[in-house]
Amino acid sequence: MATKISNDGYKEIFNISPAAILVIGIDAPLYTILDVNEAYLILINKTREALLGKGILSAFPVDPTEEESKNIESIIFSFERVISSKKQHTLINCRHASPRRGREEFREQYWTTTNIPVLNENGNVKYLIHSTAKKAELNKLGEKEKTRFEALKNQRQQLYSTFMQAPVGIAIFRGPEYIVELINPPLCELYAKTAEEMLGKPVFEVLTHAKGIGFEELLDNVLLTGKPFRGQGLASPLMRSGKLETVYLNLVYEPFREDDGRISGVIAIATDITEHINAKLQIEEAEERARLAVDAVGLGTFDLNLLTGEMITSQVFANIFGFDAPVPRREYVKVIHPDDQELRSKAHKAAPETGRLFYEARVVWPDKTVRWVRVEGRVYYGTTSIPVRVLGTLLDITEQKKIKEALAESEQLLRNITTAAPTGLWMADAAGGITYVNKTWIDWTGLPFERHLGAGWLKAVVQEDKEKVLEKFANDLAKRIFHEVEFRINHSDGTIHWCVVNGGPQYRNEGTFVGYIGACVDITEQKHLERQKDDFIGIASHELKTPVTSIKAYAQVLEKMLLKKGEIKEAGMISKMDMQLNRLTSLIGDLLDVTKINTGKLQFNNSEFNLNILVKELVEDMQHTTSQHTLIESLAPPVVVWGDRERIGQVITNLISNAIKYSPNADEIIIQSELKENEVTLSIKDFGIGIAEQNMDKVFEQFYRVSGNLQHTFPGLGLGLYISSEIIKRQGGRIWVTSREKEGSTFGFALPLRNKKKT
Amino acid sequence: MNKLKKIIIADDNPGILDAISILLEFEGYDVLGLQNCDSLLTMDSELPDLILLDIWMSGTDGRDICKHLKQKPATCKIPIVLISASRDIEHSAIDAGADGFLAKPFEMNDLLEKVKKHIS
Repeated sequence: MATKISNDGYKEIFNISPAAILVIGIDAPLYTILDVNEAYLILINKTREALLGKGILSAFPVDPTEEESKNIESIIFSFERVISSKKQHTLINCRHASPRRGREEFREQYWTTTNIPVLNENGNVKYLIHSTAKKAELNKLGEKEKTRFEALKNQRQQLYSTFMQAPVGIAIFRGPEYIVELINPPLCELYAKTAEEMLGKPVFEVLTHAKGIGFEELLDNVLLTGKPFRGQGLASPLMRSGKLETVYLNLVYEPFREDDGRISGVIAIATDITEHINAKLQIEEAEERARLAVDAVGLGTFDLNLLTGEMITSQVFANIFGFDAPVPRREYVKVIHPDDQELRSKAHKAAPETGRLFYEARVVWPDKTVRWVRVEGRVYYGTTSIPVRVLGTLLDITEQKKIKEALAESEQLLRNITTAAPTGLWMADAAGGITYVNKTWIDWTGLPFERHLGAGWLKAVVQEDKEKVLEKFANDLAKRIFHEVEFRINHSDGTIHWCVVNGGPQYRNEGTFVGYIGACVDITEQKHLERQKDDFIGIASHELKTPVTSIKAYAQVLEKMLLKKGEIKEAGMISKMDMQLNRLTSLIGDLLDVTKINTGKLQFNNSEFNLNILVKELVEDMQHTTSQHTLIESLAPPVVVWGDRERIGQVITNLISNAIKYSPNADEIIIQSELKENEVTLSIKDFGIGIAEQNMDKVFEQFYRVSGNLQHTFPGLGLGLYISSEIIKRQGGRIWVTSREKEGSTFGFALPLRNKKKT
Repeated sequence: MNKLKKIIIADDNPGILDAISILLEFEGYDVLGLQNCDSLLTMDSELPDLILLDIWMSGTDGRDICKHLKQKPATCKIPIVLISASRDIEHSAIDAGADGFLAKPFEMNDLLEKVKKHIS
């Protein structure tokens, strides 16, 4: 029958146990000694009273000469580990100098210490059993063993030193909590923590950001199975100087084995490869960016191995060829347009020689649409100068081709137009040099293109017109105004042709003047017709004069005869007939004058004459033509002028007859002359219908007639004022009008006063 | 009765010849109308007192005839009035030695004035 051992019994066993035992309270950091057995008291040469109720440190008073006082620290770590892990923990070869019994000297001794947790009913640590067995007494060891022990000690010292100075981070994590038992400076630096912050604490309590992302499992696996773990480039988030950073580590987890082979922890060896990884990432990013860029511009890429014929192509490459995904090289070759296969082969054959691969070909897509592609590549040579690789790009140039074709078409069209146009076309640069003439101009002149460049084109112009043409162009070019000039050329058909050239100044978008672009029209036919018209009018009016002259002669003889017979009434009718004939004569005269003006044949027979006498004569004549109006003269002192008396008289007559004609409801016309310093002016003022503002500057134009409702009231060819103004201008004078509608007009002219000399 | 003053009028237009002849005869002159000038160049007797000569006649320029007559001693004293439908050649008419110029169409009074001026 089993006998239950009493508490006293346990006490007895406790006291007689050869193992030195302390019962320690868990009141860290004091760790009060709750009980101590005889063996322990003997071991450390102290009385029970000296230990009970004291902290653990009083059991191990620190020797001031002791170098390795860290031992006490490791005992305290051990306590902490046991408390947190609730498992026993052994410290081997713990060296401690303890005072010798009865002497005031210390003696080095080596111990093996085991700390065992005692749990309460709740499973929490109640107190610790600290048991120490003296390993050996040095003085009891043989010399050989002593040497071995010293060697071991040195080795250990070296290991520790190596551990601390190793360029890689090393740590020992103990127990299932992975308490940091040891950590070297590189790893502290890596974790951005001090050793004090780390030591004795579960590693994941300190490195909170590394928690829950798989490191625990890795460690657990090593701890459980003893299988080391090696990982490369593991991303680990770490708090460094207040910033969360991702650090990349090469990690080795080795099981930490006790002497008995039990795995009590993990040795962690960590190398920071963050920079390396970042550099790699940057390269990857750069590659990705390059790939994206190449893809973005629609460039396909290929890498052709010339030795194996294998070709790696990008997605875009495949797409440009009409495939959904990259395919083997032969598939690409198959879809190249049959007509372009040879061209492609040639390009590939030529590439090793030139170092470049280039061709443009059509590819036929599965839906039979045809696309244009451009292949460009560079050949790479091996060590023996054998071409081994072609790297290159592929571009879809269908749109480019289309645009090019459209451009070529429109260019061709333009060329056709410029060639077919019955118009000469030309371009000049900013300095006025001809840079282009079209085929029409070349055909006209019979001179080749090159001969027209610069100022060469002038060769085609007839000698007499060259100066005029050059002067006009230089003038317009200087002012950058619209250029127009008429001249004659020696035509390739052997005759002289008339041309009119015009052109506009050209500017670039930003406003730079670049020269002229213009046209040249052959107006020979037009000139010919104009001439014919002028000749016709000239001849016609001349021919008309002859019968009018004879009619006038008959009429006047008849009038005289009738008057002689006393037939007054009949004679009056003939007189009226004569007046109509005068009107007819005047119209014929106008037509003839216009023709003369237009052909530059208006001639003047200049002489000295007294203007006042001329005006008085004409006023008297004109007064006969109207009974309604009184012509009032207001003349300056007599003055002699130099000019064509008859032509100037024609102007005065025209102005007075207009004044009469356009003031049907007025009864006065004022003819006034004024003498000024260098000129004499004559004005004819009426009180008639006047001229609207907007028509004022048109009255001196050819064929201008009073328009509107009153048009039919005032017949005429619309030539009188035009002829008058041309006469006055060619006599060196000025002509003008001032007018108000419904109030009347004043027409005036000025003639220069000059010395007696022929113009 | 005084012998009538003799006027030769040369114009290739019969209408003008007829009308002016009637007018001048009505005014009391002896008129000889010529449609071409050939006889003028050779005349040396029965010389007229005045010649009215049209400049533009078919085939002949009145100014040349005028010059010719003015160069011949027999005829150089005969006043010549040149007539033209073109006013602009008055200068050249005077240059050709003409004593007067009339532009067609003219007033009969102007013609009679010129005639009276040269036949005194």
